[in-house]
Amino acid sequence: MILANLYNKVMGFFRQTEPEEVESAKDTACNRLRVVLMQDRTNLTPELMDRMRRELVELLSKYVEMDKEALDLSLEQDGEQVALMLSIPVIRAKDEDEIKAALEAEDKEADDIDDDIEEEEAEEDESSDEEQVSEDEETSDSDEPQEEVEEDEKD
Amino acid sequence: MSGRVIVITSGKGGVGKTTTNANIGTALAKTGKKVVMIDTDLGLRNLDLLLGLENRIVYTIVDVVEERCKLKQALVKDKKNPNLCLLAAAQTRDKTAVTEEQLKDICEKLQKDFDFILVDCPAGIEQGFQNAVAGASEAIVVTTPEMSAVRDADRIIGLLEAKEEIKSYKLLLNRVRPNLIQSNDMMSVDDVVEILSADLIGIIPEDTGIITSTNKGEPIVNDEKSLAGKAYNNVARRIIGEDVPFLDLNEPKGFVAKMKKFFSNLKGETK
Repeated sequence: MILANLYNKVMGFFRQTEPEEVESAKDTACNRLRVVLMQDRTNLTPELMDRMRRELVELLSKYVEMDKEALDLSLEQDGEQVALMLSIPVIRAKDEDEIKAALEAEDKEADDIDDDIEEEEAEEDESSDEEQVSEDEETSDSDEPQEEVEEDEKD
Repeated sequence: MSGRVIVITSGKGGVGKTTTNANIGTALAKTGKKVVMIDTDLGLRNLDLLLGLENRIVYTIVDVVEERCKLKQALVKDKKNPNLCLLAAAQTRDKTAVTEEQLKDICEKLQKDFDFILVDCPAGIEQGFQNAVAGASEAIVVTTPEMSAVRDADRIIGLLEAKEEIKSYKLLLNRVRPNLIQSNDMMSVDDVVEILSADLIGIIPEDTGIITSTNKGEPIVNDEKSLAGKAYNNVARRIIGEDVPFLDLNEPKGFVAKMKKFFSNLKGETK
């Protein structure tokens, strides 16, 4: 037993000299569990999360120039609610012409309705519950596309 | 009299459902309550072993359902405590031998004569789980501070929340190892409670005494010195409605722990 303790002491000494940054087994477990439980609770698999991430990059790139690799999308538990957290490192704000060009290219391809939906998605960073709400908003937010039109007219 | 029907469930196997059932049942009976335990793990029964009643079983729950005997005939009285009874599972049949409706019916009948009906649920989330939950209005979710057990408990909680009949559920954290928690190698009680966001009804320390108590067929709550036994007795008191603080598990209690501490102190001094 003395030997075992001596061994532990020596090992403990070396352990203490290691940098503190190493994540403890307990923290690893907690973090992994949080992620996996979010997936279980929302039915969002890593593949779906990745797809959502790619689609968001594509969508948001029209408005800002961002670090596409660093865009971080994650689910977090906020009390009873699940929240979708989106963190986007912006490299540079696009100037008006660029945004316009991107949007015009978009307009040629798609109908006005698509724009409506995408506008709302860009604003949203909330839980999946709001998907239903956004349908209602589509009708009430009809003045938003007009803002774009106004900008077009100015130039 | 209308007894409380509590299902003891976990999702994952091997986290201590049956041990919890045997101990809470025995502890409740010791307080003078009339308790019946139903083993619904058809084909894999074990509650009888933990209670040391395996040689006394004549009829099982399947015999009751198939009307080969009266419900009262199938209840096996505990060796020590006449307040405690067991309705055993059939070992030769599978989960389809009893339906949800039949279990509900049995629970309703037993409610008239008992204060507590504890339903031992099989592992998994299939029909066996659905059957066990059918007659219950309360649930105790047993888990351990391990990732797989916590994940399964989360699934079970989701299923319980979807059931109208289940009015409340509580979390019982089993096999807690304070020394591993102190060294940050194991999730703490607070971590698990936070992740599952559920109310806690008990914290049971890992105790080698459980092995010997199982071998003897004698629930550990009958051992006055055992820490796990104390913790289970406290759970029973909380179920009855008493306000009992959780045990402090952090201080090393056993002889071995004291010796270890002594030697490590000695080493420290001679350095």
